[in-house]
Amino acid sequence: MGLEAFHNSEPLTLGVELELQLLNTHDYDLAPYAEDMLRLMAKTPLPGSVVPEMTSSMIEISTGVCHSASEVLGQLTPIRDALVRSADKLNIAIAGGGTHPFQKWHRQRIYDKPRFRELSDLYGYLSKQFTIFGQHVHIGCPDADAALLMLHRMSRYIPHFIALSASSPYVQGQDTAFDSARLNSVFAFPLSGRAPCVLTWGEFENYFDKMTGTGVVKSMKDFYWDIRPKPEFGTIEIRVFDTPLTIERAAALSGFVQSLAAWFLDTQPFTPQEDDYLVYTYNRFQACRFGLDAVYVDPGTGRHQPLAEHILHTFDQIAGHAARQGAAPALHLLRSDVEAGQNDARWLRERQREEQLLAETSRQAALRFRGQTV
Amino acid sequence: MENLTGFWAQWLRPSAGLVTLQWSLLLALATIGGSLCQRYVGLPKVVGYSMVGALVGFAGFSGAPWPLQGISLFLLELGVSLVLFECGGRIPLRWFRHNPMVLVQSIAEAALTYFSVLWVLRWLNTPADVANPIAMIAMAASPLVLSRVITDLRAAGAVTDRAMVLATLSTLYALTLGSAQSEVFLRPAQTLLDSTSAVAVVLGVSILVAAVLSLLMRLALQFMSPNSENTSILVLALIAASTAVTAHLGGSAPLAALLGGMLLKHLHPRPWAWPRQLGTASTLLNMMMFVLVSTVAAQADWNLPLAGVVFAVIVVRLLAKAVGVGLGNVGSGASWRQALWVSCAMAPMSSVALLIASQFVTAAPDGGQMISRIALPMILMMEVFGAVLASLAFHRARESAKTLRLLERNPVPGDRNGP
Repeated sequence: MGLEAFHNSEPLTLGVELELQLLNTHDYDLAPYAEDMLRLMAKTPLPGSVVPEMTSSMIEISTGVCHSASEVLGQLTPIRDALVRSADKLNIAIAGGGTHPFQKWHRQRIYDKPRFRELSDLYGYLSKQFTIFGQHVHIGCPDADAALLMLHRMSRYIPHFIALSASSPYVQGQDTAFDSARLNSVFAFPLSGRAPCVLTWGEFENYFDKMTGTGVVKSMKDFYWDIRPKPEFGTIEIRVFDTPLTIERAAALSGFVQSLAAWFLDTQPFTPQEDDYLVYTYNRFQACRFGLDAVYVDPGTGRHQPLAEHILHTFDQIAGHAARQGAAPALHLLRSDVEAGQNDARWLRERQREEQLLAETSRQAALRFRGQTV
Repeated sequence: MENLTGFWAQWLRPSAGLVTLQWSLLLALATIGGSLCQRYVGLPKVVGYSMVGALVGFAGFSGAPWPLQGISLFLLELGVSLVLFECGGRIPLRWFRHNPMVLVQSIAEAALTYFSVLWVLRWLNTPADVANPIAMIAMAASPLVLSRVITDLRAAGAVTDRAMVLATLSTLYALTLGSAQSEVFLRPAQTLLDSTSAVAVVLGVSILVAAVLSLLMRLALQFMSPNSENTSILVLALIAASTAVTAHLGGSAPLAALLGGMLLKHLHPRPWAWPRQLGTASTLLNMMMFVLVSTVAAQADWNLPLAGVVFAVIVVRLLAKAVGVGLGNVGSGASWRQALWVSCAMAPMSSVALLIASQFVTAAPDGGQMISRIALPMILMMEVFGAVLASLAFHRARESAKTLRLLERNPVPGDRNGP
């Protein structure tokens, strides 16, 4: 199968996908209820969609095409409310977070769908270790070349996205010392990481043809890159976010992406180049490990500075564009958290320090997802 | 030889007695039976335990008196109470506010089971004072068997959880009505007030002990971690104490434990972690229960005419549960296919049924023998085949992580769900 033509989309439109945890209400471990949730959710007319994910304790919700962060929140709210109603009916709970703190990967079950079975056959235990939960943000691009340019410009802000969304400090019952341990699981996949630095669609088609020629990939779905083009939607898809604990934060993160994209399109602030990627993996690691306390190495200047400082500087740079996109409240929410040194990973650690029981931390995360104050 | 005996006699010390030796060997045999059953047939270990107990019972071993009394009664009540306390904690009352159809489903299946069994027994000319207790016993599905089956098959999902909740609720109804009814049998009343006060005492004591048990646990959890072994021991100790106190004051210990678990979950909605910590002690107690139940049940007076009655009751009970679960399924959030497997998983009967039967036999000596002759074979059959049926249900509902080797064309050990 060749590379699909890059479809038209309205520039700067947004689409958000959230992978969510299904938990039992007894010990708050993951519960294989995806099929039941899908059946119940199918009865409610909603703006986006609800689909299964790799293992049967996960579910993915997505918005339709949105024009602003507030519209994203406006679509996520009824979906979240319907999810909560269905979960209450089934006596389960729903939670955000990039990992479930204490689930055992070997107990997870592959959702019964041909693609997931294929992946399970190919990747073995990695597919069950893929019981991790991310937020994907699609951003509409004017054309295919602009999409690749935007993809590589966005790559400089991958650490920002990771630190702001980090919500996976616990894995298999242990504090990993990472703010986002989820991305370590993604790294195990052979086609993960960064996309090749090509800036025109023609070059990208050549790359894709060579890759399909090797027989290693069949479609764009086989690439687990941090950001990948999505030609059928006319978007690029940013995939490094952990699923936040609240839909408000998920919407705010999409507002940040949209504001950055508006800045790129309006001012063409820099031209991406292969050398940008010299520090890419280091910056990514720093953000995963230390979250907002990470060090950021500027790919352009090589200057080292606190990531939080660079995030606040970026907010200042894009403030005007954010205001025009209606994303000022989103940036305000993120800014106040950065100034307080707060993200969801820190919230989870604080809860765990208080409760000394990861199951209780999960229960409180589920309450937070419902919109209750904990 | 005499010299040798005389020489050896001076080394002999007072021991725990022959019964202890017999039970120890029986438990060892049951362990082996359970392991073989799981390893070579893929069925839960509880089937092996029950079959070993039944074989030994058929062979004439009478390790426990019937109706139950003394230490065997206490051990059974303790084991049942421990599991029911944990089962009660799986029933958050707020769920019924969001999904009242689950409550409807449980009431429908229990009521239908009671009236259907009562009707069939009366139709077969069974006296009313026998038919009524048997119908109450038949209401109770066994959360104890289910919990062992679920553990062995590593089952999880909507069918598994729904079956556990419905089985626990049916046990709650059967224990409540059974305890009240047997109390009325025990104290033939002259007036309605006498009957009411007898029922009030048994239920009141059970509820009171449940409240005290849950409040003590709630208090302890203010400063004790549910993960700690000490908390597990505290649970065990408090349930043992409440079992002794409830029985002494004329209440129902399993009912008190079940209500205590439900109350604690309501007062303390935080996750429960201690059942895992109970570990080997709980497993041993469970195993003893299954062996005890099948050993006692195998002592029944098995004969052909009664076999027909027992068979009829079993079939009617299974059908009634299926129809009841189906009737209440509309709007309950489960599919029809799931409802079918839930009703199959409701088949097992075990120690709770044996306890209620024992209460009735003690309370109504006239009809007691007849109650035993129908109830004991029914309980034994449903302990073994009910566990098999429940395993089949979880397997067919695709909620079991282990394969049932009997059903697989190319059996593969371990996880059925891919690498």
